[in-house]
Amino acid sequence: MLLRARGLSKTFTGPGGTLVPVLHGIDLEVKGGELVAVSGVSGSGKSTLLNLIGLLEPPDAGEIWLGDERVSHLGRRAQCRVRGASIGYVFQSFLLLAGLTALDNVMLAARYVGRDRADARREALGLMERLGVAHRATHHPAQLSGGEQQRVAFCRAVLNRPPLVLADEPTGNLDDEHARVILDELHALAADRGTGVMLVTHRTEASARADRVLRLDQGRLATR
Amino acid sequence: MPVGVKLRELLPRGYTFTVVGIAVGVAGLVALGAMAERITRFIEGGDRFVLGQISVAGEGMGMGTGFTAGGLLSAAKIAEIAAVPGVSGVQAQVMMPLNTSTSQFLTLTQELVFGMDLSVPIPNRHYRELPVRAGRPLRAADRRVTVLGADFATSRKLGVGSSVALGGQDFTVVGVLDKTFTAPDRFALVSIDDARDLWLRRDPLLVQAFGAGSLRRNDLNTGAAVGWKDGEDPDALARRIQATVAKVNVTIPGEISRLLRQSTAFFSALLLGIGTLGLLIGGLSLSNTVTAAVFERIRDFGVKRALGATDLHLLREVLGEALGVSLSGGVAGVLLALGIGTAVDTRAIREGQQLFLFSPRLLAFAVVFSVVLGGLAAAYATLRIARLSPAEAIRRGS
Repeated sequence: MLLRARGLSKTFTGPGGTLVPVLHGIDLEVKGGELVAVSGVSGSGKSTLLNLIGLLEPPDAGEIWLGDERVSHLGRRAQCRVRGASIGYVFQSFLLLAGLTALDNVMLAARYVGRDRADARREALGLMERLGVAHRATHHPAQLSGGEQQRVAFCRAVLNRPPLVLADEPTGNLDDEHARVILDELHALAADRGTGVMLVTHRTEASARADRVLRLDQGRLATR
Repeated sequence: MPVGVKLRELLPRGYTFTVVGIAVGVAGLVALGAMAERITRFIEGGDRFVLGQISVAGEGMGMGTGFTAGGLLSAAKIAEIAAVPGVSGVQAQVMMPLNTSTSQFLTLTQELVFGMDLSVPIPNRHYRELPVRAGRPLRAADRRVTVLGADFATSRKLGVGSSVALGGQDFTVVGVLDKTFTAPDRFALVSIDDARDLWLRRDPLLVQAFGAGSLRRNDLNTGAAVGWKDGEDPDALARRIQATVAKVNVTIPGEISRLLRQSTAFFSALLLGIGTLGLLIGGLSLSNTVTAAVFERIRDFGVKRALGATDLHLLREVLGEALGVSLSGGVAGVLLALGIGTAVDTRAIREGQQLFLFSPRLLAFAVVFSVVLGGLAAAYATLRIARLSPAEAIRRGS
């Protein structure tokens, strides 16, 4: 099993100190090569679930295993290593760094895992070529369309060949044509590379193509 | 080669306002510091001068005040002083205000005619000679020529070969002194004979005394500089002169230095205030600018943490950027202050004033200060951000 989560819970503190429970004891598993869609209404806890699994914020309770390693209980530095080498993220708002070119944004993923620069550059350009954004390598994010930015962000997420990719509404800001490109790539990742993919989406067609759909309702999970 | 921080990221895009913000803070620090340096040099110069010689004047008030105080010091008295054990040399001097209307007021801007008997070496241990910027020094046989202090020459647009009227007499400028930032900048140095002539022209009483035959020309001295032999205690020697030679006023170097420091206590306090203010304004402006610049990039830090960056990675990158940005801002601030200071001084110099002294130590301090403070501010901001989870950093920055 690639990913196992047990009893994940998260509560945020709202204005005036009020407690806002978001997730209640979530259990889930994802196998390598499996594409799992996560759906649910706004505020149901989809993004928070991905953040917890991706070690972007700590759960209040529960544990997360990547393979045989209980990553939720690692120290800060070790979690950084796991994030850099084992998890790729694709965000709805792309989150490219404005001061870097498209190529440098992709290569940023390699910087923190100590990869050989020349090797990373070669692979980054190859990925950008496949995604049709190689000709934009020297452009900055502000000079790219939304579709191009998301393709660059996708290249960044997969550059280190992570076994798990988390995509949080990756098509939320894209038109249908560009959304299809990203969804195709996520499917190819799972099918061709054996990558486990968790995809938060509102798109019906995306859920329809998933191997499994997890539905979140008021912070509780219901498999469909 | 591992993937590392590229050089161009040390001066990343979008940092223009940060650099400008730092430059303004550093410029304020440098400008205030330069004013403080100017005052310091003035006070230190005076102190160094009085500690380098024993000044002796005739008993009584004589003409003028301050530097020009004292009654006539006759040639006989000078010979008596020279005979005191421990004295290495005595130089007769005539010092008087150029403008008699200011003679009763010792001001920081007072211009003086200073006549020295150059047949003996200058006894002052700290000023064996007055360094000349242009032309030549004054010589013993010179008559009707002058060597001018830097501000005296600049305020009147005088140079070597120019003619200047001193006490109604025309003098040819043969030299201009280096800037000292203290009293000699306002001197017109002449031979002692020329100074005596000016004095006689100015003071009818002296002419009558000459007519009565009670005075000889070499009795016309407002004072004398006294040097001491190696190993001699100057304060002890000054007291010995006072005890040995009747009817003279002797300044004790140690005491006069203390008095000078007391009389300039206001300036010392002002100096401290200016320095503190400069550090406060410059430091706050700089650290605030750098901290704000780092906090503005909180989302980028969140993304980098998501990509595997450790606290150390972030700190190293931010310090690299802070170094580039604060060094650029520091240098720009120094240049800005130099530009403003030069513009102001160009106007002030027409009045014989100079407000700023941009010493190398000040400029070096300003650049080092901006880099160190910039680094500390950046490190503080980074460590604050590093406490946040990557998701929280991304949320706050979006």
